Amino acid sequence: MSVVDLSKLAYPENNLRSFLDSVCETHELDYAAYAGMNPIAQSVHGVVNYPDAWQTRYVEQGFQTRDPVLTTAARSIAPVDWQRMRGDEAFKTVFREAHDFGIAEQGLTIPVRGPFGDVGLFSVTRNCSDDEWSKLKSKILGELQNAAVHLHDHVVHSHELTRVLSHPSLSSREVEILQWIAAGKTQQDVADILNISNRTVEVHLRSGRSKLGALTTSQAVGRAIGLGLVYPL
Amino acid sequence: MIIVVDGVNRDRYTRLLDEMFALRARVFGGRLGWEVDVRDGKEIDQFDHLDPAYVIGVNDAGRVVSCVRALQTTGPHMLSDVFSSILAGEPPLRSPTIWESTRFCVDTEALDRGKSRNSVGYATCELMAASLQYCKDSGITDIVTVIDPVMNRVLKRSDCAPYDYVGETVPMGKVPAMAALLDCTDERIEKIKAFAGIEGDMFVDEATAQALADPADAPAPAPIEVPQLVKEPVVTQSQLAEYCMDQVLDAHTAEELEAAQRLASALAQAGMIHAGH
Repeated sequence: MSVVDLSKLAYPENNLRSFLDSVCETHELDYAAYAGMNPIAQSVHGVVNYPDAWQTRYVEQGFQTRDPVLTTAARSIAPVDWQRMRGDEAFKTVFREAHDFGIAEQGLTIPVRGPFGDVGLFSVTRNCSDDEWSKLKSKILGELQNAAVHLHDHVVHSHELTRVLSHPSLSSREVEILQWIAAGKTQQDVADILNISNRTVEVHLRSGRSKLGALTTSQAVGRAIGLGLVYPL
Repeated sequence: MIIVVDGVNRDRYTRLLDEMFALRARVFGGRLGWEVDVRDGKEIDQFDHLDPAYVIGVNDAGRVVSCVRALQTTGPHMLSDVFSSILAGEPPLRSPTIWESTRFCVDTEALDRGKSRNSVGYATCELMAASLQYCKDSGITDIVTVIDPVMNRVLKRSDCAPYDYVGETVPMGKVPAMAALLDCTDERIEKIKAFAGIEGDMFVDEATAQALADPADAPAPAPIEVPQLVKEPVVTQSQLAEYCMDQVLDAHTAEELEAAQRLASALAQAGMIHAGH
């Protein structure tokens, strides 16, 4: 996987930016942007890989306070396709300008809700026809959901206090499954050993990865060992 | 037919939402005898204030006949906050691609028996298939759903048996509750649709969605509060420091004392209080 694992890098914003770049590259997208709010740290984070000229223009115009993409998606649990907002006047205002900077109006925003009332908004764009867009979207949406939460959790946990409050709490099932994986068993092996379905193993692995802030199962195992949740074998 | 109402469009569908909360009051507060809070004939809980998504079934007359509620498992949801006894003290699943579904119900009084489009069976299957479809279209792969044994039997009978369960079946008020896992796959959706004879698009078209919206002359709903990404600090340093001091002084056990001290030192390290406190 070519996705940058954020937790392996030091915090500076340029690493967040390289994460956005790698998401774009992996999923055939033009641009990506993240905006998030951490009510515990009382801080706001934003990172984009849009052209610098558009970033400047966006902030100059104060679009971040009236961009309907952000205000709408924050109230949704599902990804919001920007096609839903094409009739909206505020949307037209922002995207008429964006167009001059080469930003397409084909895009979507994924809302992330965290445990502390923290909210993150992850947006991606791609200049293509409606048809191509809907095909691409159904192919990459699950991966984008994962990327959105990974990015959001990383930004939220970059604050010391949030990190202390959110020690990963794995269930005993999740730990048990990671322990078998650490012992070299495949997912199907684990399912057979525990007498549960492969899909149940998958669901617990996914949850374990998310709680440990890991993109892959091997990263999750490594981190679980580091935290003393799983014994190295 | 099915309509999705969420935080984005809920100001246009106050009638549908009121009917839905009333249906939930009759089903959960009345027929099933769950311990829920019913006020003015409506069942509304704390999670309804978190902008969940509702998948709502309406009949040809535009009346609400079924509903279910979805929340992300990355944030606050019922299994993490109020149904934790099902998990016997274990932390809940958390994943970007798993949503939680709760408050699934159908109106058994407005619907009849049999297999027609106006039957309990059809409405149940349509809501199940449509909610799975809505999740799948959002990039979601699995649902964890809090149900009672009656609903569990309905799922099994409708060719939609859960592929597994998490936690245990525990009494929740007068009835037992359990958490089941369902995959949001085409295979499962097609099986349910075939079982009930559902054909074509289950979701309302644009014209029907508009017809279901509140009339234009209805009293304007309260303006939607635009979420503020930038917020002023609401707690001062001295209030935080005072809070930490209270926690330390009020600690009754060694663990509580240690936890209070850990919090204070974390806050000090984060520069949110002065280390001297």
